[in-house]
Amino acid sequence: MLGSTLAILGVLIAIFAGFAVKDVLLAKRKGTRYTFRNCLVSYGMMLPAVALAFIFVLLPIIYSLGYAFTDFYLLKPNNIKFNGFENFENIIESIRMKGDMYNAIRNTSVFVVGVVPLQIGMALGLALFVNRSKKAVGIFKVCYFAPVVISLTITSYLWLQILSPSEFGLLNSVLKLFGAEPKDFLRDPDTAMLWIVVISAWQGCGYQMLIFLSGLTNIRKELYEAAALDGATAWKQFLHITCPGLRSTFLFIVITVFVGACRVMIQPMLMTGYQSHTVTLSYYMYVQGYSYRWVGYSSAVALLMTIVIGSITLLQRRLLREKD
Amino acid sequence: MKKFLKTVSVVAMASLLAFGSACGPTDDSSTDKDGNTIVKIMFHVDEKSAEGQAYKKRIDAFNTAYKDQKIKASASYVARTAGAADYEQKLTGMQNEGSLPDIITFDAPNCASYANSDLIYDISDIVPQDVQNDFLSLNKYNGKLYGLPIQESSAGFYYNKNLFRDAQIDVSGYTVDNPWTFDQFKEVCQKLKDKSITAVDMRLDATKDETATYLLYPFIYAAGGEFLSADGYTATGYFDSAETKNGFQFLKDLVTSGYTSYAIGATDFFDGKVGMYLSSGWTIPDLDNKYPEKFPNRDSWGLLPYPKGVESASATGSWSFAITNNHHEDKTKIKELLLWLVTPESSKGITDATGMIPARKSVETNYGAGSPESVLLSQLAKTGRERPVTVGYPQFSNNFRQVIYEMKDADVATVLGQKAAVLQSELNKLKK
Repeated sequence: MLGSTLAILGVLIAIFAGFAVKDVLLAKRKGTRYTFRNCLVSYGMMLPAVALAFIFVLLPIIYSLGYAFTDFYLLKPNNIKFNGFENFENIIESIRMKGDMYNAIRNTSVFVVGVVPLQIGMALGLALFVNRSKKAVGIFKVCYFAPVVISLTITSYLWLQILSPSEFGLLNSVLKLFGAEPKDFLRDPDTAMLWIVVISAWQGCGYQMLIFLSGLTNIRKELYEAAALDGATAWKQFLHITCPGLRSTFLFIVITVFVGACRVMIQPMLMTGYQSHTVTLSYYMYVQGYSYRWVGYSSAVALLMTIVIGSITLLQRRLLREKD
Repeated sequence: MKKFLKTVSVVAMASLLAFGSACGPTDDSSTDKDGNTIVKIMFHVDEKSAEGQAYKKRIDAFNTAYKDQKIKASASYVARTAGAADYEQKLTGMQNEGSLPDIITFDAPNCASYANSDLIYDISDIVPQDVQNDFLSLNKYNGKLYGLPIQESSAGFYYNKNLFRDAQIDVSGYTVDNPWTFDQFKEVCQKLKDKSITAVDMRLDATKDETATYLLYPFIYAAGGEFLSADGYTATGYFDSAETKNGFQFLKDLVTSGYTSYAIGATDFFDGKVGMYLSSGWTIPDLDNKYPEKFPNRDSWGLLPYPKGVESASATGSWSFAITNNHHEDKTKIKELLLWLVTPESSKGITDATGMIPARKSVETNYGAGSPESVLLSQLAKTGRERPVTVGYPQFSNNFRQVIYEMKDADVATVLGQKAAVLQSELNKLKK
């Protein structure tokens, strides 16, 4: 482990040294005063950030990439063997037999397809509402943002109480007033994931609302005034002024919400535990890596997730930018 | 500028040195400055808890007793905050770092995987045969001894005697030697249901952790079912057998008959709303002390054994001590601490604090005849059956809990078939 870490560090230092030499040579060619000493100072200033990124970002990524092609079993750390594409074959096998990997892909897809439009829609709606409100804007902002700062664990337990099938469950108590039978919302395979979508969208939309709000303040008021003078309705103003004005904000939010949604784990973990109808890719990866101890297999799932999420994100960027 | 450059260079060198030392081998010393051999042990509980204090007392007593022999025990306590998994993560992290303590506590079902991975040490020749014979159960894998139980556990049906009297139910004849049958269990449930009382909390909702597996697996054995082959690597044909299906079907029938449900509140039994409550021995202190309104004394509650199907089976298993396969090759002094911690005196001290059953037969228990503790002890000795011994225990337990969770809205045989196939594919990976 130490040897490979030092080797990676060596490569990193060599890359930096290469950049440093290039900078100095370029400066010499252009005739500007930029000595090797200046170069050392500037790279020295970068060192703390680079060291942190190396330890906490680069190393885990490189190791995870390597482990994806090994049979690393957590209880046998000194017996790691290269096993080629066996982990990926096992992933395909799990999908083929409709095992937990299949369930995880299905549930994550449902979650992403549900939460991305819902959360963004809610955030945009709230931002437009708060932006138009004349009074008590601060109170609205705090109310909508509050779920974001409350920990996911607490909000999950709060919703567990609301959705509880027992007589103390808030929602079932209300339904009982209308003569409905108590429902076990989180145990029902048809509704469990939908509730997790709703809860997650509620929890996260406050943050996106603030970003939309800052985007809305950047749109010049004169545009709305001119449009109003020309007789444009509120809907047309929204469609032809607000939406184009928010395009770059929208791109940022779509990508961050999408990536966050793909990594969902805490909500199903706390609300239902590891179950076929709520297990997500991150949760599956966690259970495979820590409970089942298959670090190699878990790393292969992580690698695939990264490739898929990265590809879709790039596609989103391209599609949304093309229209710019 | 020169000064600044010097500072930058020093910071850079210090960072590299710090990083290098963090990745380097851990301190291998096992002797302190007074020449004492340090034996390190890690417990799975908070030091301040009653159980943690009991361990601390035994460690202090060991250090006094072995002062002249220059052996000193050094204990660390890693409290489980989110179940046994986070303790295991700490353990595996230490194994990866090469910093495993000499003795650890571990959850008994993990014995096979820890032994198979050489995390724990074969103590067959270390523990004298007469000591081994004195234990109610031992943690063995492939015929070798790897762990000594700290204490034992068993579970049963706590029942509200007042509700039973109101429903005119007499269960006094049901004992470990003359257990009630599955049918008699259902009859009692029906009588409670007739009085509009939720008959029993089977803990079907406890599927987020090991609780559901621990409490419910005996029903499958009692129905004649099995989970895995003897070597622990085959699930198909066992996990989905007709007998296993009967066991799960019995549990599902309790739900469909309205005797139990997945939505019973955590305190419903203690609030007097439920007739029976399936739980382990750790509920005894709660009933003795925490609910004086409904359960003022032991005349207000009792404990019944597991019902019998085609055979009898009851829950067993708790945490155990094991010597690790760490870098200390000489285990002679480590053995002293291990044996000290399982003496009848230690066993009594620990179980007095936890309310659990002593792991050793020679510990005097003084349980009154017919008391809940005596029911558990007798049941443990006569019908106790351990959970499957398999390297893939986490995979087994996870799939077991999924069956409990999913059978509510699905055909039991179908769910079992699916889970058996998934479990088999996981076991196949382990077999390679």
